[in-house]
Amino acid sequence: MERNTRRNFIRKLGATVGAAGVVGGTSILSSCNSVETSSGDKIKLLTSSGELVEVDKSQLTPAEMPNLSENQTRGREGLPGRSWVMVIDLSKCRNARECMKACQNHHQLRPEQHHINVLQMQDAEHTAPYYMPKPCQHCDNPPCTKVCPVNATFKRNDGIVLIDNERCIGCRFCIAACPYSARVFNWFEPRDAEKYKGVTYNIEANVPQKKGTISKCLFSADRLRDGKLPSCVSACPNGVYWFGDRNEDAVTNGTTKETVSFSKLIKDNAAYTLMEELGTKPRVYYLPPKDRAFPFEGELIEHHS
Amino acid sequence: MKTKVNRLMIGILMFLALPGMGQDWQVPADQLNIENPSSYNLENVKKGKDLYLQNCKSCHGDPGKNNHLPLVPPPPDITSEQMQANTDGGLFYKITKGRGGMPQFETTISADDRWRLINFIRNYNSENEQLLIDAPPVNAKILASVNEADKKVEILAEYEDKSGNYQQLENAPVFISAKKAFGNLLLGQALTDKNGRSVFSVPETVIGDEEGNVTIVVTLDENYKADQVVLEEAKVGKPKEVPQLIRKEVLWSTNENVQIWLLLSYLGAAGAAWIAIGYVIFQLVKIKRFSKQ
Ligand code: SF4
Ligand code: SF4
Repeated sequence: MERNTRRNFIRKLGATVGAAGVVGGTSILSSCNSVETSSGDKIKLLTSSGELVEVDKSQLTPAEMPNLSENQTRGREGLPGRSWVMVIDLSKCRNARECMKACQNHHQLRPEQHHINVLQMQDAEHTAPYYMPKPCQHCDNPPCTKVCPVNATFKRNDGIVLIDNERCIGCRFCIAACPYSARVFNWFEPRDAEKYKGVTYNIEANVPQKKGTISKCLFSADRLRDGKLPSCVSACPNGVYWFGDRNEDAVTNGTTKETVSFSKLIKDNAAYTLMEELGTKPRVYYLPPKDRAFPFEGELIEHHS
Repeated sequence: MKTKVNRLMIGILMFLALPGMGQDWQVPADQLNIENPSSYNLENVKKGKDLYLQNCKSCHGDPGKNNHLPLVPPPPDITSEQMQANTDGGLFYKITKGRGGMPQFETTISADDRWRLINFIRNYNSENEQLLIDAPPVNAKILASVNEADKKVEILAEYEDKSGNYQQLENAPVFISAKKAFGNLLLGQALTDKNGRSVFSVPETVIGDEEGNVTIVVTLDENYKADQVVLEEAKVGKPKEVPQLIRKEVLWSTNENVQIWLLLSYLGAAGAAWIAIGYVIFQLVKIKRFSKQ
């Protein structure tokens, strides 16, 4: 059920006009995120983790890309029986920002846009400062989805809050409603807009991004579908992130690959959620920054209220 | 061409940066010659090994294999000369305080244990007698089955002796885990008896899929080279509860989400209005026809 909006029409027109130049690049792009090609049998590819690898051309098979509407239907349903949760151990974070980098690569974000942000925190004047990564909290009672007039942002049954950028009209009501400032707006043409022109929109990764619409942390829903941990969780070198299914009461650490009981982890460490007084029921749990592995090296902002 | 230049630049930069970053990690003079208070014996070295595996291996890699993480500066292998050239006091200071990419372990590992860690590092010093000898892993195999009625896993473990025959593996720890979304959750461990057998009772609290099926994984420790046994879909767990998060009734959104009563009242009201308009038009036509007659 591909909607024939004006935007679609214009996009198709653009794609046809620029076809000669785009076709070659696009077919490789949709199969394997290629950036550079080389003559001969070897081909250079950029992996999702940002490494440049060389593979034999004969080993490549074109990836199956579901079409737009199929993508959107399955994206709305979520993974059956799952209930994804994230646990962030504040005592381990040393502001390495690898999670932010991996996230920006995955979601094609401009350098100033962040789905996840590592903040320098100090709770009161004389308390110890610490670093706090903050993604979208994937609230179980999300204010953002309720204000969207066109049902572009929605919650799925596995707990993830997603955005359909094909549907979003850019009204930014959701930005106003989110108490965690988790959403970013594409004011400008997104990063690599040229490169990803004509690639089928993937609702579970919000790529390619689209000017005039919203983006935010998606728990890497596309990677979860492939049985992989979210990009940030896999990228952290310091064991900050745990991720897993609350229904089966298990979370796995992205660095050490250790799997533990979720309920025990949050009970033993007195985990908390952000701004619980708002009743948004976040899905991201924080373990307090006790016994920190790294000294705080940031600069403290003097005037905190 | 460009990448070549870039690579060259990176190379030059690394060359310049490396000595700078690897520059002697200054240990205060009073710390340098502190002696290790814990004695160099098998027990301490073993404890040190456990600590190493938990806290250090992820960056420094396996001892002697030079498979450390590619960080800058590179974390040295613990068997290397660079590492062994440190004094005990120096190692202790570095582990305690950390620097750059290396965490401070002051807050997470007790002082005693930090000294034990140093005992483990010294196990690889050529001047020391090696207390912990890493024998190559022995070939072994595990057979396991699930008794669903009693919720027990029955295990038989064997190892290959020198002549290539399989013998019962006595007194070896066997690990039993449940497969979860991204890894295996350790349920517990059991020791094999003198016949190489052991029985493990699955805890009541284990959660399976919607029907209570758990995929159980049985493994031996790193001293044995054995394929892990995966027992698919054993009905030994609690059924997983899958609470519904979404209620479809929302007042204002798109047609898919509209409530039936709202849709019917809207259609009813709109229909009534059209009927009224139609009625008026019908009456007007009627009046016109009458006036003609
Ligand atoms: S954190 Fe903000 S954007 Fe994320 S679900 Fe909650 S309200 Fe919505
Ligand atoms: S900006 Fe987009 S997602 Fe947000 S409320 Fe408006 S239409 Fe919905």
